[in-house]
Amino acid sequence: MAGAGIYIHIPFCVRKCLYCDFFSVAAAESAVADYTDALCLEIRRMSAILPQREYDTVFLGGGTPSILIPEQIRTVMRTLRTHFSVRENAEISMECNPGTVTEAKLYGYREAGINRLSVGLQSADDGLLKRIGRIHTAEMFYQTAASVKKCGFVNFSADIMYGLPGQTEEQYLQTVRAAAETGAKHISSYSLILEEGTPLFGMVRSGAVRLPDEEATADMEDSGTALLERLGFSRYEISNYAKEGFRCRHNLNYWKNGEYVGFGPGAHSAMRRDGWTRWNCPRDIPSYLSAIRAGGLPDYESERIGTEEEMFETVMTGLRLCEGIPFEEFRQRFGCRLPDVYRDAIAKLKETGWLDPDAYAGGRLALNAKGLDLQNRALSFFLPE
Amino acid sequence: MAYPRDLIRNFCIIAHIDHGKSTLADRLMELTDTVAERDMEDQLLDSMDIERERGITIKATAVRMFYTHSDGKRYMFNLIDTPGHVDFTYEVSRALAACEGAVLVVDATQGIEAQTLANVYLAVDNGLEVMPVINKIDLPSADPDYVVNEIEDVIGIPAQDAPKISAKSGQNVEQVLSQIVELIPAPDGDPEAPLKALIFDCVYDNYKGALSFVRVMDGTVKAGDRIRSMGTGREFDVTEVGVFSPALTETPELTAGEVGYIAASIKSVAETKVGDTITLADYPADKPLPGYKQVQPMVFCGVYPADGAHYDDLRDALEKLQLNDASLSFEPETSAALGYGFRCGFLGLLHMEIIQERLEREFDLELVTTAPSVIYKVHMTDGSEKMIDNPSNLPPVTEIDYMEEPMVRANIMTPSQYVGTIMELCQEKRGIFKDMDYIEKTRVEMHYTLPLNEIIYDFFDQLKSRSRGYASFDYELCGYMKSNLVKLDFLLNGDMCDALSVIVHKDRAYPKGRAVAEKLKEVIPRQQFEVPIQAAVGGKIIARETVSAVRKDVLAKCYGGDITRKKKLLEKQKEGKKRMRQVGTVSVPSEAFMSVLRIN
Repeated sequence: MAGAGIYIHIPFCVRKCLYCDFFSVAAAESAVADYTDALCLEIRRMSAILPQREYDTVFLGGGTPSILIPEQIRTVMRTLRTHFSVRENAEISMECNPGTVTEAKLYGYREAGINRLSVGLQSADDGLLKRIGRIHTAEMFYQTAASVKKCGFVNFSADIMYGLPGQTEEQYLQTVRAAAETGAKHISSYSLILEEGTPLFGMVRSGAVRLPDEEATADMEDSGTALLERLGFSRYEISNYAKEGFRCRHNLNYWKNGEYVGFGPGAHSAMRRDGWTRWNCPRDIPSYLSAIRAGGLPDYESERIGTEEEMFETVMTGLRLCEGIPFEEFRQRFGCRLPDVYRDAIAKLKETGWLDPDAYAGGRLALNAKGLDLQNRALSFFLPE
Repeated sequence: MAYPRDLIRNFCIIAHIDHGKSTLADRLMELTDTVAERDMEDQLLDSMDIERERGITIKATAVRMFYTHSDGKRYMFNLIDTPGHVDFTYEVSRALAACEGAVLVVDATQGIEAQTLANVYLAVDNGLEVMPVINKIDLPSADPDYVVNEIEDVIGIPAQDAPKISAKSGQNVEQVLSQIVELIPAPDGDPEAPLKALIFDCVYDNYKGALSFVRVMDGTVKAGDRIRSMGTGREFDVTEVGVFSPALTETPELTAGEVGYIAASIKSVAETKVGDTITLADYPADKPLPGYKQVQPMVFCGVYPADGAHYDDLRDALEKLQLNDASLSFEPETSAALGYGFRCGFLGLLHMEIIQERLEREFDLELVTTAPSVIYKVHMTDGSEKMIDNPSNLPPVTEIDYMEEPMVRANIMTPSQYVGTIMELCQEKRGIFKDMDYIEKTRVEMHYTLPLNEIIYDFFDQLKSRSRGYASFDYELCGYMKSNLVKLDFLLNGDMCDALSVIVHKDRAYPKGRAVAEKLKEVIPRQQFEVPIQAAVGGKIIARETVSAVRKDVLAKCYGGDITRKKKLLEKQKEGKKRMRQVGTVSVPSEAFMSVLRIN
């Protein structure tokens, strides 16, 4: 069994970006300290409950984890290592945003055991950054990237976005080039998804800002992928590109529908505990804190997943990967052959021409470029009627 | 013992929407202790949700009240409420025929509105005493004296002594009660003569069956009597008679001059027709009361469940509505695009909207409806004649000699400054101008002959918007007229979509075809291939749009291990697919069929 992942959610931001629907709130210093204490207690209490596992990755996400000072990160990491069996060579990632870190801070994180950073660039255009509510400029990103390298981080990712309000294809390609030039080994490029309830949603609806249309966004994605490939970043997942050897192991585990445990409100977990089980901690900091202070655990929402659904999840996440799902991995997990379970769906994939035939011949179920573009439609073939 | 006839007053209230009819009715019931204040729900008469929201009355209702006048006598008032829309003119006329008087409520801030006028004329035609009341005098912009003069000028009835009231606060409402006694005549009628009872409304009751709401003109009726409906010839045994106080209250008998209900284990309201006369089977009247008409649906459309699995639920719901609404007709039909549904017939557009809304609201159904159609008379080359209410059933052009369409006589009343824009509107709608009268210096009544198929879409809304809400209109069917009509079809990726076909005038085909094609382009989601949308008349393409092929359908977003969310999204997408209709190779969302109806 591959090693599991640990996710730690830091639900604080300096300011919320206009498009963001992740769980985070504006931070006060004392609140961050209280929260860190609570996290450590949750980690300790959960370790007594969860089955014994080896953990291969840790990911501190948010929000903006780099709001925490190195001392706090060190405490969290120490607690983790005390109570969970984290492998020596584990990938320990942390998200950080330009405008929240200094060289001293980055150095401190390194000391605390962080060995991979994921830096939010989003766009190399200051006008666009402002329009989507980011607190930094492109210049601040370059400075952060320089500091990251100076502090000894080799493995770092630049996170960028396309389909931003008023964005042109050239502006996006410029962002891709700028991200590559910093020496990042990994680039995540996500399209802006207009989520209901975000300020941007209202702005678009009222006509205050305009998003590029479907056609223009599709063009950006295609040219971006081509440019990234030319720059030596190979696409290994729908939205992720990496230099050889720098794929994100933590996210790969999600896409392989592996086991992971999350800490903090808004964090999700999946683990085989008396059957495949998912749970998540409600997005509510005060009740989280009071549950922990009362000596207990938060009121997780949990769900037992049946085998058929677990299979679908495995396909749903696995088909995001360019290499797809090896039949052998599927057989080891479920004791049956993937081509037998999904005979009809696979026939439809062949019919539509979305299947990668070479991968199939080599014992993997994978989508070709067209199939990746229309992944939702491809997955609908696998959903039960 | 029968109530002394000279102490009975039967009346209705005529008012424009929002002029305060229901509020006044509530005050009258309060002042006569008909309902205890704690039981009062605002605007008691309008009991359907839709009526309350739209401020209109769809079904007539009646209430009995008792009032002690200054002469010391105790009077029985029967207030008959009337529906207030052009689709229900016939129902209004029957409700009026059940009364001796009408209380005309006019808003002191607005003056007489044209629609009120139509009903006042109807009341005068029925021989009713019209008693004006000026309402809303408490509002700062009220000008009761101006309104008094207007009533005298326009309607030609004295209004100097009209009560000036505020139905909202109750101010001077007492005067209305005493004037009803003084001005509205007591009913005539002979309790010993053969029974003649006018049905002015009917309602379905789960326990008692269809109830006929009647005004007894002559004779007496009681439980145990065998009655006959003179229009339909059907006979029933009376199980119960009673009055509205306002709840149904059983009484020993109903006699000449009284208003009440008759229960006779009648299975459906379709068997007790508004306007019909009830008499006794063994002591019948020689002829029925005048004015009975068989109400015919004029507007038709296909009604389909958005999810095909709900066909049976839709049928059950239509059956339930029909129990209470004899003017609703429906029969099963199938459409290649929409599957199984019903062809429904309505009195008019508002009636259609009300039924659709009730199906959605009260029965929780999601519907797809096709474009409303009228009944066309198709003359075939072989000399035969066909009545067509569904464009899909139109015979091939080669077999058609010529076609006729139904026409209406329309009366439009408007302040004179809007005459020009209304004439333009009527011309756009192929109206034929008849004449125009000045009913006062600044108010005009225009007469047009218009094709019914032009007014069933947006005529009313257009009229309202172009006259800033001041114009109103009233119409009645006036026969058929030869017309150059064509069937406009729409093809999606080469396949015809029957649910979108419409019959239109030849001159309308091109602009309509183009507008619908443009709209379809907006509402049909991108498919895996390019989809041409074509509008065609008789095989000739007159407009074309294209929906380009989809390029991306993927969630390019990270969910930090939140797989449940993505799973739900996919399931929702799949669920949405169920609500798609297949037209040949093209998936069309149910909403698309509805959106093309809202064009213009």
